[in-house]
Amino acid sequence: MSGEKLLEVSNLKQHFKTGRHSVVKAVDGVSFDIYQGETFGLVGESGCGKSTTGRSIIRLYNATDGDVKFKGVDVHGTKSHAQLKMFNRKMQMIFQDPYASLNPRMTVLDIIAEGLDIHGLTSSSQERKARVQELLETVGLNKEHANRYPHEFSGGQRQRIGIARALAVDPEFIIADEPISALDVSIQAQVVNLLKDLQKKHGYTYLFIAHDLSMVKYISDRIGVMYFGKIVELADSDELYKNPLHPYTKSLLSAIPLPDPDYERSRTRVPYDPSQLDSSEEPEFREVQPKHWVLCTTKEFEAYKQEIKQ
Amino acid sequence: MENILEVKNLHVSFDTHGGEVTAVRGVSFDLKKGETLAIVGESGSGKSVTTRAIARLIPSPPGRIKEGEILFNGKDLAKLKEKQMQQIRGKDISTIFQDPMTSLNPTMKIGKQIMEGLMKHQKMDRSLAKKKAIELLDLVGLPDAKERVDQYPHQFSGGQRQRVVIAIALACNPQILIADEPTTALDVTIQAQILELMKDIQRKTESSIIFITHDLGVVANVADRVAVMYAGKIVEIGTVDEIFYNPKHPYTWGLLGSMPTLDNEEESLVAIPGSPPDMLQPPKGDAFAPRNEYALEIDNELDPPMFKVSDTHYAATWLLHEYAPKVEPPAAVKKRMKGFGNTGASPISKKGDD
Ligand SMILES: Nc1ncnc2c1ncn2[C@@H]1O[C@H](COP(=O)(O)OP(=O)(O)OP(=O)(O)O)[C@@H](O)[C@H]1O
Ligand SMILES: Nc1ncnc2c1ncn2[C@@H]1O[C@H](COP(=O)(O)OP(=O)(O)OP(=O)(O)O)[C@@H](O)[C@H]1O
Ligand SMILES: [Mg+2]
Ligand SMILES: [Mg+2]
Repeated sequence: MSGEKLLEVSNLKQHFKTGRHSVVKAVDGVSFDIYQGETFGLVGESGCGKSTTGRSIIRLYNATDGDVKFKGVDVHGTKSHAQLKMFNRKMQMIFQDPYASLNPRMTVLDIIAEGLDIHGLTSSSQERKARVQELLETVGLNKEHANRYPHEFSGGQRQRIGIARALAVDPEFIIADEPISALDVSIQAQVVNLLKDLQKKHGYTYLFIAHDLSMVKYISDRIGVMYFGKIVELADSDELYKNPLHPYTKSLLSAIPLPDPDYERSRTRVPYDPSQLDSSEEPEFREVQPKHWVLCTTKEFEAYKQEIKQ
Repeated sequence: MENILEVKNLHVSFDTHGGEVTAVRGVSFDLKKGETLAIVGESGSGKSVTTRAIARLIPSPPGRIKEGEILFNGKDLAKLKEKQMQQIRGKDISTIFQDPMTSLNPTMKIGKQIMEGLMKHQKMDRSLAKKKAIELLDLVGLPDAKERVDQYPHQFSGGQRQRVVIAIALACNPQILIADEPTTALDVTIQAQILELMKDIQRKTESSIIFITHDLGVVANVADRVAVMYAGKIVEIGTVDEIFYNPKHPYTWGLLGSMPTLDNEEESLVAIPGSPPDMLQPPKGDAFAPRNEYALEIDNELDPPMFKVSDTHYAATWLLHEYAPKVEPPAAVKKRMKGFGNTGASPISKKGDD
């Protein structure tokens, strides 16, 4: 980690109109920075806005409010064609749904090479093919898979095709939206080791969205916990697991199933009850101790500071 | 306990341009009334194809059940006509599939999709079915169910869609629920709720569940028994305690070793090396041998039969043969073992012919 900010997200909002009078505040004022070369994990309940955050960052949606800077340049404000193309190449996303994200009528070769073509990264069809084959091997598939179609692959295999496609254009920042949740554990370990190796080799920066907390902890340098469109807690990953402060984070940690039947038979889940929170004022994002942030009121802030001292 | 389902020597293949993909190669197992059987195994190992075959949802062509029986309450589903199968599917046997988006109709309101089965199989009228649909959405933890019944699938997050699919599957109180990665798209809190919900419904209705998941934590939570699949075959099957605390197959060892635990600090994950075999040309002998550091000479020649470890525990590895060298499982796996003192090969006999 070089300590330089690669991505700065401030007060990002993404609201969807779902009816004449109803609005879903999928992302509601989210701020965080991602440093060059680090892995930032984003976890939280289904529907809390993780994917939408990722999609807004790469401009799949026009943000309702707030801004996103990539290497200091405003991603959403920019208009120049060349700059847009640069963002499209430097920021890649690996999608959550390996089924919906691959065009069923294209061969794996063409799917992976799409980005190469758009950005004119190869000069001959031989080079194009060779590059795709290399990518297939990088992600643990065979060269022979290039001429097949997505439906001929299992879920896990398809996800690796998605990863190969993202890597093809030589990105710097990769948003991985649940990239491994469709994979079985042995391949998860391979893919996670692969993502880590690629990071070491190419210096990729990751925004890693997932709900498998043990894997998130393993891969992330820092973790943000999201709840209903807001980040409620943000800290170094070890710190977050050792000293969770926000009741939602505590509840989340208590819900992780562990591969131990005896433990599972006796596990008690701490349910989350938002009505227990202090409602005397609007909560703010506060630094309880260096690098450990919690969304809280002044009263809770004092209580958390006490709690963490113990 | 009484068997509700008996799968015998199931073979499923796909005819592709490249040739025959032998996705399932002789799978046999029983499912007892009221139990949860988890199927785990590598991507591409045939878990979905096995369960899709049970629900007779293999697209044909290119797919076909080549051989085997699927006895449901004594009736062989493999031989039923599509018409007859439609009476069973969605009513006696319900499915939750891996890809929520493709199992939902994008052009139909989700409420209507839940109501369909209720009106068809339970003969409910429209208004009752709608009430029940809202109830089900509440039950699977979807907020504002009343308003959301009238929305379309694309208006939901991945996890929310999956909960809609679960609501559809539970609607008719099926005898067998096939759940293919039902909670993979969900975060742990909702997952915990859904798992509790499924167990609760199971207790009330005595339904049986086949649960496919990659998450060994979830397996430890839900399963009574576990089947481990590799390259189209079941390589180990046993009670949940036998599989976690006394695993015998090196592939099972690999699976258990590649899970990070919350307290592992720096150590990198033990990934199983290599990639799954190409099922166009399944290797001779034990398909796992090329990736197995414990492989014996014989593995390259002969596929091991199922060896019996206990009345409930079987594994297909030559390591269990009486003449095989004694090997210790990797440290990461030994750490987990408890209560089964003996870790070497126990006295064994062959099970059936395989
Ligand atoms: N195009 C859309 N129109 C309307 N609402 C939407 C749209 N996309 C997402 N939403 C809503 O925004 C919220 C956040 O969705 P998002 O997909 O970001 O959740 P998520 O955190 O990624 O959840 P999951 O873990 O289930 O994937 C949800 O309530 C969802 O219903
Ligand atoms: N329609 C098809 N045409 C050709 N091959 C197929 C088809 N469907 C599945 N297969 C092949 O059958 C094998 C088993 O696939 P299956 O989907 O059952 O795997 P799985 O164990 O469910 O994997 P995952 O965990 O990734 O979902 C794979 O090798 C796959 O490529
Ligand atoms: Mg998502
Ligand atoms: Mg599958």
